[in-house]
Amino acid sequence: MKAIRRYFRGGNLGYLFVLPALIYMLTLVGYPIISNIILSLQDVTVKTIKLPVKPFVGLENYQKLFESGILQTSIWNTLLFTVCSLVFQFLFGFALALFFNRNFTFMKPIRGLLMMPWMIPITVTGLMFKFMFGTNVGIINHALMGMNLIQTPIEWLTQPGTAMFALIVANIWIGIPFNMILLSVGLSTIPQELHESASIDGANAFQAFKAVTLPLLKPAIESVLILGFIYTFKVFDLVFVMTSGGPVNATQVLSTYSYKLSFSLFKYGQGAAVANILFVILMIAGIFYLKFTYADEESV
Amino acid sequence: MKKLLAILLVAMMLLGLASTAMAEEKTEVTIWYYWETIKHQETLSVVIADYNASQDKVEVKTQYVPFADFKKQLSIGATADVLPDIVIIDGPDHASYAAMGIFADLTDKLADWEDLAQYFEGPIDSCTLDGCLYGIPFGSNCLALFYNEDMLAAAGQEVPTNWDELKAVAKATTKDNVSGLGFCSLQNEEGTFNFMPWVWSTGATSFEINSENTIKALTLIQDLVADGSLPKEAINWTQGDTMNQFISGNLAMMINGPWQVPTMREQAPDLNWNVALIPVDTVNASALGGENFAVIAGGEEDAALDFLKYATSAEKVTSYIDEFGYIAARKDVAAGQFQDDPTMQVFSAQMAYALPRGPHPDWPSISDAISLAFNQVIVGTMAPADAAAEAQSTIDAILAE
Repeated sequence: MKAIRRYFRGGNLGYLFVLPALIYMLTLVGYPIISNIILSLQDVTVKTIKLPVKPFVGLENYQKLFESGILQTSIWNTLLFTVCSLVFQFLFGFALALFFNRNFTFMKPIRGLLMMPWMIPITVTGLMFKFMFGTNVGIINHALMGMNLIQTPIEWLTQPGTAMFALIVANIWIGIPFNMILLSVGLSTIPQELHESASIDGANAFQAFKAVTLPLLKPAIESVLILGFIYTFKVFDLVFVMTSGGPVNATQVLSTYSYKLSFSLFKYGQGAAVANILFVILMIAGIFYLKFTYADEESV
Repeated sequence: MKKLLAILLVAMMLLGLASTAMAEEKTEVTIWYYWETIKHQETLSVVIADYNASQDKVEVKTQYVPFADFKKQLSIGATADVLPDIVIIDGPDHASYAAMGIFADLTDKLADWEDLAQYFEGPIDSCTLDGCLYGIPFGSNCLALFYNEDMLAAAGQEVPTNWDELKAVAKATTKDNVSGLGFCSLQNEEGTFNFMPWVWSTGATSFEINSENTIKALTLIQDLVADGSLPKEAINWTQGDTMNQFISGNLAMMINGPWQVPTMREQAPDLNWNVALIPVDTVNASALGGENFAVIAGGEEDAALDFLKYATSAEKVTSYIDEFGYIAARKDVAAGQFQDDPTMQVFSAQMAYALPRGPHPDWPSISDAISLAFNQVIVGTMAPADAAAEAQSTIDAILAE
C-alpha cells in the first residue's frame, strides 16, 4: 500500500488521470481499427465466417479490389464529390458570412433560418432532392422546361454524369450553413479597430479584405476546409438515399461501396479493406488538421 | 379434520411444484421474421398462439427484424452466436446462409416426412444446397404482367403474349406522362428478381449471361428503353414504387407480384386492371419469390422442427396462406386456393413456370453482376453484348472458386 502511495506521490499521479481516456481510446477507437485491419487481411465470406480461425490471405483483398476497378471509380467519385462540394460550400458560405457580418435588421433570425439545411436529417434532404431531380415529376425539370431552357426532361438521376451533379448540388445546399457559421465566428473575432486603421491608411474594401480579413481568418478557414473535407469524404446517407451508388456505379463512393461489399455481397474482408482505405485517407487529412492547428497556436 | 386439511395442503403444494416443474420444462423457440405488413404479423401470431395452446412442451416466440437489417443481423448473430431457433428467410439468401453453416441439415430428419412429396420443385430447390435440405418452404409468389385495361383499350391493343406484341403494345400505350411498361430495375436483388423472367423465357439459365439468349433479353430491354416505353427511372424504383406508378396512372403495364394485389384493391378501387402471364420469347417463365423456414443449427432443433411440422401441415397452411397473398408451396393446398378470385388464379397458373434464382452460396455476387449488366443497358453506358460479356467474366470467376 505504501509502495503504491509512494509511486503516485511524484509526477506519476498524472498517469492515473490519463487512464480513463486511455482505456476509452484503446477499447472504443483502437480495438475496432486494429480488428478491421486484421479483418481486411483475411478471407472472410459466407463460407468462412463461422470458422474459428479465418484464412489469412495477406493483401489479396486489396489486390482483388484494385483488379475489379470499382475501387478506383469509388475513390475518384469520392474525391470529385468532396472537392466540388467543398469549393462551392466554402465560397457560398464565405459570401454569406461576410454578408451577415454587417449589422442589419433581422440579421439574426435570417441567419438562424439559413441554418435549416444543416439541421434537417440527411435522409430527409436526400429524399427531397430525389423528388426534385425526378425526370417527369421533378420540380427542377418542370422549372427548366417552363423557362424554355430545355425541351425534353433531363434524366438527372439515371444518367451517370448528371447523377453525380445532382448529388453535389444537394450536398452543397446542406454544407453552406456549416461553412457560414464557422466563418462568421472567425470574422467576429477580428477587431474592428484593424479595419478602421486600414481605412484611415487609405485601403479600399478589397485591399482591406486581402490584407486584414483573410490573414486573420486563416485559422478558421483551415478548420472549415479540413473538417469539411473529413465530413464530406465519409458521406454515406445522402448517396445511399438518392442513388445507392448507381446508375452503374457512377456515384459509388467509398462508404457505400464498403457497405455493399459487406452487407449485400457478404464479402466482409473486402468491405473491411475499402473501409481501411477510407480510414487512411481521412487519417492523412486529420494529421494535416493537427499540424495546422499546432502551427497556428505556436505562431500566436 | 386437521389431518384432511394437512393432506390437502400437501397435495396442493405438490401440485404447485409439479406445475412449476412443467413450466420450466417448456422449451423456448424463437423465430426471426421480417414481414412489415401488419396483416402478415397478425396472421403469424395466430398460428403461433394456436401451436402454443395445442401442447405444453414448446413455447414459440417471435422477433421482428426489419428486412433492411435482417441479413446484417443474421451475419452478426452468426459470428456472435446470438441466433434464434428458426428464421423465415428470403428464398435466394437461403443457400448463402446454409453455406455459412448456420442452418441445420434436415435431410435425415425429414426423410420419412410424407408431406415433403407435396411441395413444388422450385421452392424445395431454393432450400437445397449440394443435395441436402436446409429448410421447409413457407409460401411462394411469382411475378406476372399487370395491365391497365382502359389504357390498352384506348390504344386499341390486346394483352401481349409474346415479346413482339409486348413491344408494340408498350409503344402504342406510351404517351404524355404514361409509359407503356415498368418494372423494378434496381441494381440489387429486387432488380434481378424482375429481370430474370426475360432471361429464362429465352431458355438461358441464371449462369449463362454471355449467351445469344441472354443478349436477346438484354436487347429487348434496350429496345423498350429506346422506344421510350420503359422509363429509365425504373432503375430507382422498388416494386412498391412501380405499383404506385401503376395505380397513379403513369404506367400502362407493369411486372409485379401478388402481394401488391390487396393494396391495389384498397387504394385504387376504381382502376380497371387485370393480370396476365408474362409475355414469352420461347418458354413461359417467371421468377420465384417467397420465404422459407430454416432451423438454426445448434439451437432447439427438435422443438423447432416440431413447430414447423405443425405450421406447414396442409390444414394449417390452408388457414393462413390466403391472408398473406401468397401461393402455397404445397401442391395440395395451392390447388384449392383462390377458387373465386380470377386475378390470383393467374398467379397460380404463372407459378408453374416460376424458377428459383441460383441457388448458389455466392448468389448475391452473381446477382450483383447480372443487375449491373441490365443497368448498364438501361442507362445506355454499354451495349447488350458488352454488358453480357463483362457479367459473364465476373460470374465465371465466382463459379470457379
